[in-house]
Amino acid sequence: MDDEYNEGLGKRKAIYVPYSQAVPLKYSIDPDNCLYLTKGRCGTCEKVCPSHAINYLDQKKEITLNVGSVVLSTGFKSFDPSKLDHLSFGQHPDIVTSMGFERVLSATGPQGGHLVLPSDKKHKKEPKKIAWLQCVGSRDENRCNNGYCSSVCCMYAVKQSVMAKDHSKEPLDCAIFYMDMRTQGKDFDRYYEKAKDNGVRFVRSRVHSVYPDHDKGNLVMGYVDELGAMVKENFDMVVLSTGLEISADSFELATTMGIELDRSNFIKTDSFKPVSTSMPGVYACGVFTGPKDIPQSVMEASAAASAATENLALARNSKTRAVTTPRERDVAGESPRIGVFVCNCGTNIGGIVDVPAVAEYARHLPGVVYVEENLFTCSQDTQDKLVEVIKEKGLNRIVIAACTPKTHEDLFRETLIDAGLNKYLVEMANIRNQDSWVHSNEPELATAKARDLVRMAVAKAFRLEPLFESQLPVTQSALVVGGGITGMTAALSLSRQGYPVTLVEQNQTLGGNGRLLYKTSKNEEVSLFVRKLISEVEADEHVHILLGSSVHGVEGFVGNFKTTVATGDDSRIVEHGVALLATGARESRPAEYCYGEHDAVMTLLDLDARFAKGSKVVDRAENVVFIQCVGSRDQEHPYCSKVCCTHSIKSAIAFKRKNPETGVYLLYRDIRTYGQREFLYKEARDLGILFFQYDLDNKPVVTPEGDHVTVAFTDHVLGLRLAVDADILCLAARIEPNDNTRLGQAFKVTSDNDGWFLEAHQKLRPVDFATDGLFLCGMAHYPKPVDESISQARAAAARALTVLSRDSINVGGIVANINPERCAGCGGCVEVCSYNAITMDPAKHVAVVNDALCKGCGACAATCPSEAPSLMGFNNDQLYAQIKSAMTV
Amino acid sequence: MERNDLTPTDPKGSVMVVGGGVAGMQSALDIANSGFYVYLVEKSPAIGGKMAQLDKTFPTNDCAM
Amino acid sequence: MKEEVFEPKIVAFMCNWCTYGAADLAGVSRMQYPSNTRIIRVMCSASVSPHHILRAFQSKADGVLVGG
Repeated sequence: MDDEYNEGLGKRKAIYVPYSQAVPLKYSIDPDNCLYLTKGRCGTCEKVCPSHAINYLDQKKEITLNVGSVVLSTGFKSFDPSKLDHLSFGQHPDIVTSMGFERVLSATGPQGGHLVLPSDKKHKKEPKKIAWLQCVGSRDENRCNNGYCSSVCCMYAVKQSVMAKDHSKEPLDCAIFYMDMRTQGKDFDRYYEKAKDNGVRFVRSRVHSVYPDHDKGNLVMGYVDELGAMVKENFDMVVLSTGLEISADSFELATTMGIELDRSNFIKTDSFKPVSTSMPGVYACGVFTGPKDIPQSVMEASAAASAATENLALARNSKTRAVTTPRERDVAGESPRIGVFVCNCGTNIGGIVDVPAVAEYARHLPGVVYVEENLFTCSQDTQDKLVEVIKEKGLNRIVIAACTPKTHEDLFRETLIDAGLNKYLVEMANIRNQDSWVHSNEPELATAKARDLVRMAVAKAFRLEPLFESQLPVTQSALVVGGGITGMTAALSLSRQGYPVTLVEQNQTLGGNGRLLYKTSKNEEVSLFVRKLISEVEADEHVHILLGSSVHGVEGFVGNFKTTVATGDDSRIVEHGVALLATGARESRPAEYCYGEHDAVMTLLDLDARFAKGSKVVDRAENVVFIQCVGSRDQEHPYCSKVCCTHSIKSAIAFKRKNPETGVYLLYRDIRTYGQREFLYKEARDLGILFFQYDLDNKPVVTPEGDHVTVAFTDHVLGLRLAVDADILCLAARIEPNDNTRLGQAFKVTSDNDGWFLEAHQKLRPVDFATDGLFLCGMAHYPKPVDESISQARAAAARALTVLSRDSINVGGIVANINPERCAGCGGCVEVCSYNAITMDPAKHVAVVNDALCKGCGACAATCPSEAPSLMGFNNDQLYAQIKSAMTV
Repeated sequence: MERNDLTPTDPKGSVMVVGGGVAGMQSALDIANSGFYVYLVEKSPAIGGKMAQLDKTFPTNDCAM
Repeated sequence: MKEEVFEPKIVAFMCNWCTYGAADLAGVSRMQYPSNTRIIRVMCSASVSPHHILRAFQSKADGVLVGG
């Protein structure tokens, strides 16, 4: 049958595992296609299964669970384009969906990661021209009733085009056909610009039709270009960028439960309660509440975790069970028995490096008693096998030749624990990031290097010793820096879970930007919400508010921070286990379009203030012009401020609703009303608001004319130069980060090139800093609307709770140890230690390391003339062996 | 901020998460790691959801696994 | 006599928190560079002592790179 994991591009059997890295990696029977279950024939699997695991009589069981709350995260279904006749999906194998194209590119996919035409896999014919069609099943109420924007397709199409070029041996022509390029996320615009530089073509157009030309064997695309001319172009392959929608199952689940949905069947949420459903105790996250990308889904997932457990705080630890790990085997006195596992990483390593040769080579290295090759050493089934092999062969040192220890060492350490070995007895050889990927044009040299790297890792593994950790208590309270909507939400989330919070705000009032905003995209009044939030924070006895205060210095580490907070001339030390940085951002002051020179020119927040207070200028305006991307998406600030398209359109609608006669003009580059915000854009057009697209090299020109300003711009469709006399010119000014230099230095956290705090991983750890115990949220991370700031605040709280709810944390492991026999008491190591982790024992006149403060840098070891300190896990014996084996075969 | 007025006097220490994609897994992990028992319910034979089908992801081009 | 092209062997000590990560990132970005280096991961470039560098030269390394 068609394999759904490979989007029907491959085949699977009626008894199957969904994919090679599946968790759990167990076969299951597809009852709709099993011959035995449907026709009573076959029964082969029962006969051949050596462990008698097949049970044809297994039936659906109903289980009743009594739980405190529920989180719904059933995700999305990719839009099925076979409903759309004009795209000919299903009529030619080279017209694929975007999910299908992911499988084409994937090493575990039906084509093994080779970019060849699905119509001609036999001859391995590579495509020379690929087109992507955006908004298939999105922003389309006529053909499919999905009026919303799916939010993620622009970015994945850009990524796929870059990847496709990367996969192709010959120059590949990639063209993306789009209406608005919606790359509003963090660093997305940079990637988009880079793709343009790499030659990806971006064509602003809605495609009329795609059909196969059976005579020539290629695909023909008909579209209207920007100047209104009908164009026909041939392509070898067409990728349909299908949108996200709610599946029938999810719809049924929600309606059965009685949960309110919006017009597109997403769960209806409030901007101020982004993860709550209409049913108390039931929360939701991910695409079920609206189309969104992975980082946003991950943030909401953590946010839902915080919301779902808030009312259950009293029952914390009442139902959890302790994890049992096998007793650690004492390997002291055993001679090294090294197991080497060489990973193919799909084709990432195996496609370049001769993995069988490297494995064979490893077999003869000193101490090696077992060698194995894996398709993915990191997959769950290989982990299970590793545990078995370690026990069976009595291995006591492990070498993993695969990717980088920076991402995967922890995983393999866990596996060692499961196998009853000390987790520090594993060493990785980085034959992917630092070998196959960087020498992909020189496979032989890459293989030679892989051999050397494995030999060096084996030499070190030979000398690895077990390391031990000890426990330190956690200070179960939090510090939140920033008292805007985000900071206050985070503080309340933590205090309601039972943990005291110190909230530091540099201004004399709480509220931040929330005080300046008028309404959300869903028309909720922000000021009402902020006032309520402030009073809740002020009334909360567990939240200690420090106004007019700032952080001056930070000492300590996760679970045990000591921070100096200055209030005026006073300063105090706050002890806390975690810190959340929510220092926000601000609307910039534009340096162009007569801002600050003419009263008619204002920013969106200036306009919000006039809406809130009431203003004669607003009431009487005959012509209003909005200019988007003021100071954003240019050479100097190459990022999108994300919120301004929605903010401007919402304000434009307010003018039209007040007086339908008002002329409202919006000059934009790409309209980025992602997700359900697209309905606002549609409403604006229906109301007669006029939209004109402009480019960076043809920006609008503003000239003062008495009590109004004249805005001149070009209409692309008509090719005419137009001018509007505007009573109000509203500028969508760039959102810029606050200056976090001092705070960043105090906490030793970094910001990116644009000044936004840098998270540990853009996709999977969007609210964690790289340093344990520190979290970021709100606009300090990137510009975002109120609902996303609240999600992220709750997410940061949830992540912080994973530390605060622990009684102790482990310290030790890779730390320095000073051999008192060798220490002359010179104090040189005390001098060089940046973390004040070494002190002199006054009685014995030798230096001593504090494990909790030691960061494991090893500076002491390098300084000491008598080699008294050594960095555990990186001692001289191990390093010398690595150096020697790097050079000697 | 949202607050459920029906704060239970005798709350349960467990949560059910429906859907084992990247969002469901993250939610389940955070809930479990802050001291609650989680039932993660998934319709298909494996967790991982749609992200497991993706090849590489922006911006690091790491494999989605 | 056969003429051999000189291919230097370089031992590179790289800090886990910066250069080693950067070398990983070079891989992620598929940058291509000569395969002459052999990277040794250390927890800080400050932990690299003159002894380590001299050992590398004693073991016939043609060059040593300390990245931190």
